[in-house]
Amino acid sequence: MAVNLRRRPTPTPATVHAGTASRRPATKIAYAFLAPLVVVFALFYLWPAFNTVASSFFEWGLARPWRIQEPSSWEFVGLSNYTENLSASRFWNAVVNTAIWIVAFPVLVILVSLLVSIAIWFLPWGGTLFRTAFILPMTISLAAAGVIWSFMYNPDFGVIPSLVGAVGLDNLAIDWGPIQFQAQAWLSNPGSIDLGLFQIRLVNLSLIVAGVWAFTGFGVITITAGLTGISPELIEAARVDGARPLQVVRHVLVPSLRGPLVIVGTISFIFALRTFDLVWVVTQGGPATDTEVLSVLLYQQAFQFVGSAGLATTVAVIMSVVLIVAAYPYLRGVLREEQA
Amino acid sequence: MRSRRLTAALYLGVTAVAIVWLIPVITAIMISIRPPTETRSGWWNLEPFTITIQPYLDALRDMPAGTIRTTFLITLGAVLLTTAGGVLASYAFARLRFRGRTLLYFLLITTMIVPIQLILIPLLPWARQLGLLVGSWRPLLALILAHAAFGAGWAVFMLVTFFKQIPRDMIEAAHVDGAGHWEVFRRIVLPLAIPGIISFAIIDFIFVWNDLLLALTLLGTRGAVAPPIQVALSNLQGQNLPRQDVVSAAAMMAILPPLLLFAALNRFYVRGMFAGGAKG
Repeated sequence: MAVNLRRRPTPTPATVHAGTASRRPATKIAYAFLAPLVVVFALFYLWPAFNTVASSFFEWGLARPWRIQEPSSWEFVGLSNYTENLSASRFWNAVVNTAIWIVAFPVLVILVSLLVSIAIWFLPWGGTLFRTAFILPMTISLAAAGVIWSFMYNPDFGVIPSLVGAVGLDNLAIDWGPIQFQAQAWLSNPGSIDLGLFQIRLVNLSLIVAGVWAFTGFGVITITAGLTGISPELIEAARVDGARPLQVVRHVLVPSLRGPLVIVGTISFIFALRTFDLVWVVTQGGPATDTEVLSVLLYQQAFQFVGSAGLATTVAVIMSVVLIVAAYPYLRGVLREEQA
Repeated sequence: MRSRRLTAALYLGVTAVAIVWLIPVITAIMISIRPPTETRSGWWNLEPFTITIQPYLDALRDMPAGTIRTTFLITLGAVLLTTAGGVLASYAFARLRFRGRTLLYFLLITTMIVPIQLILIPLLPWARQLGLLVGSWRPLLALILAHAAFGAGWAVFMLVTFFKQIPRDMIEAAHVDGAGHWEVFRRIVLPLAIPGIISFAIIDFIFVWNDLLLALTLLGTRGAVAPPIQVALSNLQGQNLPRQDVVSAAAMMAILPPLLLFAALNRFYVRGMFAGGAKG
């Protein structure tokens, strides 16, 4: 069961055999139960996914799609779709922007949701109400969140530029060698950090903040579930030993939250690498390609540039491989539980 | 007392952060219910304060006719199909042995991890080849099927968890009484798993309703069928000089159905999320 990911698995006789309750040979019946879902799954997931991988070795476009049953129309190009992308500066630009997402997004989600969950957990009453404020944005579509955050950053009527202006920081400009920052133009060019080989454009962080706002609720739910599993005696014991609240948090709560934190980290990493909607709605990857992440590059190569669908499939394959490798421990945990 | 002061400070801090968290939503509401002249220099200027539904009427006019209908049809269709298929398949995973079980489970679970882009690119030619892009309802079916396929992993992952919580003794007893798997499924497992099934259905509803990328790919440019609301919203926002009040009203319409569902049944939603990771 999924709960076991959070707590240490304690197999009891009742759960060990739960998965194989019936001892009669039931393979045929099982297939009947599986059929409806598996047919749809095979036709609209496995088959397209296989096509993506296979067609990444061919040159094709949407007007001239690669078809497995028409070998005469194949234009085999080997690995050249991969090498073409891997040697294009636009691809590496998208890699850098995606890297900003997959580093900053999980870190911020974990920090914010950990702080919020623990603070709410200490409240004697009203916890559910407060938690709802953070969970609510999770139900909002990322397209709508994108619209809302482009209002938040709007230079004429946005909350953020107005607040910055109200405290007199709108003319703030920092220029420390490689680090440049100005407290305006949040969605075009608030500055950058020059790392020699590549530039970290801070405009990506503006988008990431919107993502964190939308996603923190997941962290709050998962971490709260973990907190509920901590035995009150443990905390009481620490208190009796004279631990202060902050020490309890650092030495008792956070260490016993390892499981939930791994889940939040993994899922937000997946979210960050897949991110599309927010970027698409707010900046479409712009200005120029400053916020273009891999999924946006892929969409443009597949559906907006002509004849480069083969290139786009390589991006999809690379993203999928990275995700499966990165999420492998999580995947293994999930699989192990299913066996139980 | 020290701890009382600490609690008070904690309440103050949490309240402040919660309010900050709600500001984006308040922004959308305020811009969408007032004439643009009043919010042009910030919605927090409350003088004058006129409430109008004009932005909503304009948004409905500016979005393709039938957008709302399409969104509901796709969402309800996909949730029904995914839930029904998922419930059946999860019974097999939770209660039966069969060949290829681990492999199938692994493949299903990959949908929670790989990007949807992995199936996105061949999907359009594939749907065309199956004849699913013509007419007024087949494109909707194509989108429903794609959602069901991509939601399958999440369905099985969540529902198996709920099914395994059903006491094994009850099922064994029914088998001893001569009940076959179909009866056990229908009479025991299904009724007992209803709360779990509702949890999944709500999460899937929110996921499908909120999808942009699949809909953009399959219905984004097809004139015959109105695109669902997230696509319509994204198109409104992408226009030159978008009208903030209209875009904001469209965003509110895109937000409201999942939000109302969450408000009414948030216990189920949170419990479903407790049950494991989310498909982000």
